[in-house]
Amino acid sequence: MAPTACFNCKEARAVIIRPKNRHKLCRACFLEVFETEVHETITGTKLFYPGERVAIGASGGKDSTVLAAVLKTLNERYGYGLDLCLLSIDEGIRGYRDDSLETVKRNAVQYDMPLEILGYGELYGWTMDQVVAQIGKKGNCTYCGVFRRQALDRGAAKLGIKHVVTGHNADDVAETVMMNLLRADLPRLSRGTSIVTASGASDIKRSKPLKYAYEKEIVLYAHHRQLDYFSTECIYSPEAFRGSARTLIKDLEKIRPSSILDIVKSGEDMAALVPRDVNQAGNKCGSTVAADDDIGGCGSQNGRSSGGEMAAMEKTLVENESAESRETEIKLPKGRPSNASQQKGVKKQTLGHCERCGYISSQRICKACNLLDGLNRNRPKTAIEVSVNLEDEETSSALLKQMERAQLTNG
Amino acid sequence: MADYRQMKKPNIQQIKLLLPLSLGVSSSILLHILNADIQRQLAKPYGGLGYDLHILVVDPSTILPSSTKYDQAYEAATKAFPDLKLTRLPFHSVFEYVPDMKEIIQEYTGPHFSDDESRSNQDRLAAFRAAVSTATSKADLDSVLLTRLVVGYAKNTGCEVVIWGDSDSRLAAKTLAGVAKGRGASLTWSVSDGMSPWGVRFGFPLRDLSKPELEQYKSVCEELSDIIISDEPLSDNVLTKNLSIDELMMRYVHTQGEKYRGVMANVTRTANKLESTAGSDDHLCPLCGGLVGNVKGNSGVTVANQSSDNHSSKFCYGCMRSRPEATC
Repeated sequence: MAPTACFNCKEARAVIIRPKNRHKLCRACFLEVFETEVHETITGTKLFYPGERVAIGASGGKDSTVLAAVLKTLNERYGYGLDLCLLSIDEGIRGYRDDSLETVKRNAVQYDMPLEILGYGELYGWTMDQVVAQIGKKGNCTYCGVFRRQALDRGAAKLGIKHVVTGHNADDVAETVMMNLLRADLPRLSRGTSIVTASGASDIKRSKPLKYAYEKEIVLYAHHRQLDYFSTECIYSPEAFRGSARTLIKDLEKIRPSSILDIVKSGEDMAALVPRDVNQAGNKCGSTVAADDDIGGCGSQNGRSSGGEMAAMEKTLVENESAESRETEIKLPKGRPSNASQQKGVKKQTLGHCERCGYISSQRICKACNLLDGLNRNRPKTAIEVSVNLEDEETSSALLKQMERAQLTNG
Repeated sequence: MADYRQMKKPNIQQIKLLLPLSLGVSSSILLHILNADIQRQLAKPYGGLGYDLHILVVDPSTILPSSTKYDQAYEAATKAFPDLKLTRLPFHSVFEYVPDMKEIIQEYTGPHFSDDESRSNQDRLAAFRAAVSTATSKADLDSVLLTRLVVGYAKNTGCEVVIWGDSDSRLAAKTLAGVAKGRGASLTWSVSDGMSPWGVRFGFPLRDLSKPELEQYKSVCEELSDIIISDEPLSDNVLTKNLSIDELMMRYVHTQGEKYRGVMANVTRTANKLESTAGSDDHLCPLCGGLVGNVKGNSGVTVANQSSDNHSSKFCYGCMRSRPEATC
């Protein structure tokens, strides 16, 4: 079969079938089309202002690496006048973070951007490895998500930056829409679809410039520009609600490739139709809800491992079910608007600062400090236990044996 | 059902209801319940009927291979409910009940397709459907046209309310499919009680009953056994790729609903919480009645992103996706 010419330039040989609309494109055209679409998203939503300092939440994964590369390219091409830097969070997951942080460090050199790395260990006194050792593999993503949100905000604050961009893509947004439809969470559906999340919990603006970019195209873009990214999933990958929505979306994409974008469009419209009081009711929880937004923040990694297997799907839904019953209890007042509005009058919450850490929160103690409380309470004999890790124990017992032997020979 | 009772009470004048009957489980059961209600009202010495019920059966033989089963079922229904007015219309009568159908089709399909008015309505509909390539788009347009026919008939006969027999499971699938097809903005009337874009109210009295519950009702209700045409069992041996989005969602709700009814029920309830912001200056899609462009307050640029196929911005996002030459 003769090679197909590029749909766009009609000259070069097409090497890519665009996942979004199945157009056949050559390499150069694909890269350009991809970049132009991100540019249109940025200008269409007036995302940045000239001279703005922007931190890119960088994990070393494909999404954030592509985001950094595209923003750098567009910034130079169209003269956005942005002052870009990379902001990385070290969750303290050995074997996952160590390597990906190395990637981020290389990216910083490649893109000539300053890099700031902030660790959970120094911020909270707990690395994710330690959290998992304490609470097990279930539900640890809550901790990771809550901690990360604050960490990104704190990192940005430390750098004096008011705008953090993240690598969330169209697939992530579509999943969020479906997921929140399944668990009847309109406030979160509403926030998840908007390109900018100006959360009540902090004065730092968050946005997702890749909101309309397909995950598959991000992978293709990274591949064809030979970007240096790290592709390992979080080893604590959870069996989250997201997994079920993900399977459904993958099926939809097979049937009609545009459906990811179509779901995003539906989600945006639905967000605008969410009744005001429901939205506010959600915002009431201030930092709690805002922080929870990021539970899927390790984003595309979540649930990927479970792929399309029925077993994983069932497992997911069992979790859903239990989440569901908890959810209903909270939801009940919302069903009766009259009640809800009464409550609102009584329990009006204002933004303040957490008494412990000073982070902006509507509660007396912020979500992260609450979680930390729980962790610290259960941590037996805090200081000693933690500093003694496995290796130390081995060496110390070896030392003991040596000493015994020494004593024996002496004797 | 409480809504529906309220509906008839305050009206001194009889309210005209239209029940589209598919002869499937859900709508047949709704008809059975309403018939019992009517009989009860008639038995009372002084109370007149609270409402005037019209029943429309749309004969699907235009788009499906005709079967004698269908004729038998219709026959059985007319016998079982002798006091009720049943009307049977072929699907292609959409050309009669929606007068501007020709212009809509012409504009929608573009220059590559021409609607030949000299042919029979049946052939015209078949030609239009044949121009649509994918299973998803076909199913999508079928349901749009069916809605238009039902609404057209309702307006023609002066019915103010259409009561749909959709079960909770069906509504959940419709919701998910609607979202997946970019029709999220239409959920305020397509799966929720309320005013449709055509000035006829839509009601969904079976919204709290799941398909399995209705099946159970059917099993203890012998007189319905001749009427109801059961759904074909879902075969497992189908490539996902070849399904339509509507079918995929029906399957999803069916398989997941067996174990997680609550989650599936959530879907419709969530959609019902959305509030319509419809205003008189909204530009509505001439085909499906959905909003063209973005809902007010939605600053997303999904629509702008597909500027390449601005063949006609007269139609809504969802209908543009199902258009014959669309690349998907």
